[in-house]
Amino acid sequence: MALLRLVLPLLLLAALWEGAVALLQISPFYLPPLRQVLGAIWALGPAYAQAFMVTLGEAVAGFVVGGLVGVVSATAFHHQRWLRDMLFPLFVASQTVPVIAFGAIVVLWFGNTLLAKAAIAFYLTFFPVTVNALAGFEAVDPRQVALLRSFGASRRDIWWKLLLPSALPRIFTALRLSAGLALAGAIVGEWFGASIGVGAMLLAALFNEQVVAMWAAILTAAAVGGAIFGVVALVEARLVFWRDEL
Amino acid sequence: MNAALARGLGGGVLLLVLWEAVVRLAAIPPWILPPPSGIVATTWSARGPLLDAGAMTLFEAVTGYGIGAVLGLVLAMLLALATPVRKLVLPMVVVVNSVPVAAYAPLALLWFGTGALSKVVMVAFIVGFTVFLNALDGLLRVDPAAVALLRSFGAGPLGVLWRLRLPTALPAIMVGMRVSTVRSMIVAIVTEMLGSQKGLGWTIFEAVLQIDFLRVWAAILVASLISLGCFAAVSALERRVVFWR
Repeated sequence: MALLRLVLPLLLLAALWEGAVALLQISPFYLPPLRQVLGAIWALGPAYAQAFMVTLGEAVAGFVVGGLVGVVSATAFHHQRWLRDMLFPLFVASQTVPVIAFGAIVVLWFGNTLLAKAAIAFYLTFFPVTVNALAGFEAVDPRQVALLRSFGASRRDIWWKLLLPSALPRIFTALRLSAGLALAGAIVGEWFGASIGVGAMLLAALFNEQVVAMWAAILTAAAVGGAIFGVVALVEARLVFWRDEL
Repeated sequence: MNAALARGLGGGVLLLVLWEAVVRLAAIPPWILPPPSGIVATTWSARGPLLDAGAMTLFEAVTGYGIGAVLGLVLAMLLALATPVRKLVLPMVVVVNSVPVAAYAPLALLWFGTGALSKVVMVAFIVGFTVFLNALDGLLRVDPAAVALLRSFGAGPLGVLWRLRLPTALPAIMVGMRVSTVRSMIVAIVTEMLGSQKGLGWTIFEAVLQIDFLRVWAAILVASLISLGCFAAVSALERRVVFWR
């Protein structure tokens, strides 16, 4: 049933795509038929698989570190008011900086490595997680904290057994948003001189004005996004098993 | 409140001082990391062209933002009224939205050229999606009992939408609009970097080619200031519109 709900929109979208191209006679310059795009991917299977893996690795590296840093800084902000007052405005300001503009500089710092793309993905991910985790920590009933403390729970116990579980639903909401942002960061990071990856493929298709290759790269990007998103949703279903009761 | 403000300002100043000191003491070459004073000086001396470029980017971002916000809101209201269509369309929207917008940028350039139009379309696209998803979520999250009450007084679907759903959804809509402000600047700049003759994104691209990294930092500074200004404006609007928060 869950699988059906996942596959059905995809099939519907595919049918809509093919149908619209055939019925409305859309020029292939705008939208080539889906089978042509899938054929292009099939013909260069290993290249697309490699781009998929490379971009996935970059996005996931930044995403995981960003998520961890987000939770850790939210914990620090929750416990130390002065730290929060001092750093949180900087976090907010950092997000108004168009990070993409930094792409060139980040690549200059780290070279054309996985690290450069992961750093951009990280920059885009840590903030939503910090905000949501902090909101989750703050929403915990202080009486529950007092109760646990009266039973002799240490700070660490309270964090593991009360604060973190209470904040988890909100943290996962942020993680689902961040998954897409991390992928965007990885793709744009590849525009500054990378030779493999989905972003590099997009750029090559643009320069050669190959619409089919461009759509093939977009579909590959969708596959990467879907893969990250799917894993996050699976982990969420395991960890936040009480979500439906909220 | 005042203590928080003082600490916030203190944090900002501390960061700048630390940055300046580290760059000077460690003698870091400016192409790796210029000192804040150097960035400000470059920005000031190149203020003419930077302001022109900033105005161009701001124009694209604001135009796209307006179009996208209106389209997103109208679509959300239409789908809130038409439940069967919504159930069919919404999953497909989620699929399309799962591709990062940046991936569509080359397509927009190919279709709409390297002028302002491709940037406006891209900004409208991302803003429209964000506002649409937020607004729809807010419009549907109303108390069914309140709907039943309005119905019993003779309100039609339109009446419920106008008197109940829209006011209830306002906070969610404003959150979508606030999040969109920064994204609209980023998307305008990204699209400019890929292909344009004007704007901050083009300035950055050109400066990178000329290995003039101080100018890259100056352009980033201008872009950040504009984003911050837009963000503050929309936040102020939010406090006005959602006064009961």
